Amino acid sequence: MTTTLEHKAPVIKHEGGGLARHQNFLTGLIGGVAGAFIAWAISHHLLAQDVRTTSDAVAVLTGCGWIVGFWFGIGALNAPFAWLIGKDQTRKDQLYYAGEDQGTKRYWKYCTDHKVVGVQYIVMTMVLLGAGGILAMAIRTELIVPGNHFVDQQVYNGFIAVHGMLMILALIVAVAGPWGNFVVPIMCGAKDMAFPRLNALSLWTLVGAAGLLLTTLAVGSLTMGWVVLAPITDQAAVGMDFFALAILVFTVSTTVAGVNTICTVFTMRTKGMTLERLPIMVWGAIIAAALGLYAFPYFSLVEALQILDRTFSTSFFIGNGGGTGWLQANLFWLMGHPEVYVILIPAVAALFEIAAVMARKPVFSYRTAVAGMVGLAGLSILVWAHHMFTTGWAPTLGGPFMVTTELISIPTGLFFLVLIGTLWRGNIWMKLPTVWMFGFIANFIIAGITGIYLSDIPIDNQLHGTMFVTAHFHYVFVGSVLFGAIAALAFWYPKVTGRFLDEKLGRISFWLAFIGVQVTFLSMFISGLRGMPRRYASYSFIFEHTNFLTTIGAYMIMAGMLVLMAAVIYCWNHGEPSGSNPWHANSLEWLVSTPPPLENFDVLPVITEDPYNFEKEMVLS
Amino acid sequence: MTNSNENKKSLKSFYWLWAILTVLGVAASLYAPGYLMPKSMSQSMHLSILTMVVFSVAAAPVAAGVYAAALYILRNWTHKGDTVPAAGPAFRESGKVVITWTLTSILLTVFLLIWGLGALAADGAGSTSNPLVVKVVGQQWVWSFEYQGANGTTIMSNDLYVPKGREVLFHVTSLDVTHGFWLPQMGIQVDANNDTTTDLRVTPNKLGTFDVRCTQFCGLNHAFMVTQGHVLTPSAFTTWLNAQPARS
Repeated sequence: MTTTLEHKAPVIKHEGGGLARHQNFLTGLIGGVAGAFIAWAISHHLLAQDVRTTSDAVAVLTGCGWIVGFWFGIGALNAPFAWLIGKDQTRKDQLYYAGEDQGTKRYWKYCTDHKVVGVQYIVMTMVLLGAGGILAMAIRTELIVPGNHFVDQQVYNGFIAVHGMLMILALIVAVAGPWGNFVVPIMCGAKDMAFPRLNALSLWTLVGAAGLLLTTLAVGSLTMGWVVLAPITDQAAVGMDFFALAILVFTVSTTVAGVNTICTVFTMRTKGMTLERLPIMVWGAIIAAALGLYAFPYFSLVEALQILDRTFSTSFFIGNGGGTGWLQANLFWLMGHPEVYVILIPAVAALFEIAAVMARKPVFSYRTAVAGMVGLAGLSILVWAHHMFTTGWAPTLGGPFMVTTELISIPTGLFFLVLIGTLWRGNIWMKLPTVWMFGFIANFIIAGITGIYLSDIPIDNQLHGTMFVTAHFHYVFVGSVLFGAIAALAFWYPKVTGRFLDEKLGRISFWLAFIGVQVTFLSMFISGLRGMPRRYASYSFIFEHTNFLTTIGAYMIMAGMLVLMAAVIYCWNHGEPSGSNPWHANSLEWLVSTPPPLENFDVLPVITEDPYNFEKEMVLS
Repeated sequence: MTNSNENKKSLKSFYWLWAILTVLGVAASLYAPGYLMPKSMSQSMHLSILTMVVFSVAAAPVAAGVYAAALYILRNWTHKGDTVPAAGPAFRESGKVVITWTLTSILLTVFLLIWGLGALAADGAGSTSNPLVVKVVGQQWVWSFEYQGANGTTIMSNDLYVPKGREVLFHVTSLDVTHGFWLPQMGIQVDANNDTTTDLRVTPNKLGTFDVRCTQFCGLNHAFMVTQGHVLTPSAFTTWLNAQPARS
């Protein structure tokens, strides 16, 4: 019953390659800092000092210097340059870049192995969530009682924006990053991604973007909410430039990753792996990737035009120069709403997978599940102006956008049908992933219903811009997506580490987070209903009690996340050994050894049925 | 190994649970919006609260159904013991269930749409040809209001005064960044933009004071960009207006 796969690694002395053999994250940082410094020095000295836009131009060029230097330093450009001068990489080079025989060192390198990239994404997601979480704690501490002064008001306003953006970035990659990379290629029966080097590029470009985002905090002054819409951006100092550049760089990362995922699934599936035999998780990964390819170009466009406005005094978004802030708002939300489903769909797909394996039953109505995800993705590109109901832009479009928005509840409802149908009459294995999945179900229904209120214009005219909205999308992102992401982590963690995530710690973390979410965001709904606007640094006494509760709940969530983080770190080397197929599942990632060998399969498997027949346990022959 | 009857249980307790949760949900839906939201001082706000109630009542059985199903599943179908659970019944499709579920959600959505579009139309209807025009100017971080006085003079105020029973037409604009002009007790808001003017209409139907708050993040003192509004009787309003010094 065990797999016959054993990776026999030929021991290779890595000869040649010179300096390129010593590149890692540290040389990347050195390269980035050097690049930033060179760009700063040159631009600072060459640009005229008396122009209003000079400091912005210097900031943008410095940021570009950072990212190019970082790419150079970590080795992202080695292969393209080698190719340019006529030296293609040898097989030996390729294996080197895939991290062969480099132990844990390869996790710090520009590594092309999709499993290494997956692990790097796990760490990256946790770092981003941790940084965003610390800011959330600062925000909630400021708001614990009326008139509190935990942080300076200007600093607080900056935290609001960077907390939002860090969390959005973290959740965009939270499922698609780790598991879209680690398990999806194996699920398809592929030896790696279609473009392994682009895979490494997407990860390290994200790291570069995160560096720019943290620079924004360091230089202060991004006091305008994460949406950063004109004209208030005109009042921002250079933090805004780093922010815009961070987003531009980030969209490069997601575009590269999305193309790679789609190409992998459509070109690298093993023999017999028809589209309908794909594990449902793979569908989630490609649908989200395709939606990202539609949505994120708007994001780059917004930020590119914004940078032009700031550095070259163009006026795309500046009213008195012939532009309009509404243009920016439209472009932003053309990205902003699909992005929510880029975040949500992989988490939902992972839960379908988990529900099937844990209930020991096939996914209920597989085609409905796929149709639901496709339907959601399709509708999501037609709803953006519901974010603009109260701006005064095109009031006559209110009705049509209300219609498209409320239609969203139909595919969303199908998700519940598939999840409940899959669990119905199963033999449900109550392990950590299952527990978090039930948490998702409980929270996602609240997220969905409160979304329906906001899609209705007479209600939105009252609740737009209030804490009600904040509570609604936190039920989506924390209560639903984060719970799904943690379920996925608990589910595939044994495949990465060969060990279980500790059940006890995991459950403590679950209850802290689950109760914390209810306390935090139910009380936040009430603040909003009572009339408290969002992004307030201070509030009047009528909102006192609910805000106190919200802060206490937020501390509980943080405590839960710290317990989870401790479990993730501790169990990595000390958890209970799991074997290669702890859930007795039949999709390919469970049939290869743990950890999976470089290039996953010695002999590519041939697929004859989908992985949801739990009557028998499959093995690789 | 398994047959299709395995794990079939009586659904009676599920239906009971669903019914009880629905009743609780409906009760909360009828009560909570009116209790939690600001006191209504206009038809628009009344409509907002009423729509909250209607949508909550419509959503209650759906949420109750999902919670009842989840609890019922946890109660009946969790695997006990440390062994690997045996395979469950391998049903994959049920056309009946999928169609029923989808049709129900379509019907519910259509109901919400008809109600919502109706409420939207009702909200916009009833505009009079002779509203009181108030110009609203937002700037970091204060609101100011301009009225047309006698003989074409302009009257300015930092508090908002409106008469009861007469439609008010706000022309909303900004001197700097975007602000959000929100009257929580009136159930209306619109952005104040610096490059254009947006309109907002409301007919106050109760005497008393109300709040004016900013809902668009507008910089350092966003949280303090608040002022008071007052609904006066028409004669008191005229008295107030005539007592104001005209702006030179």
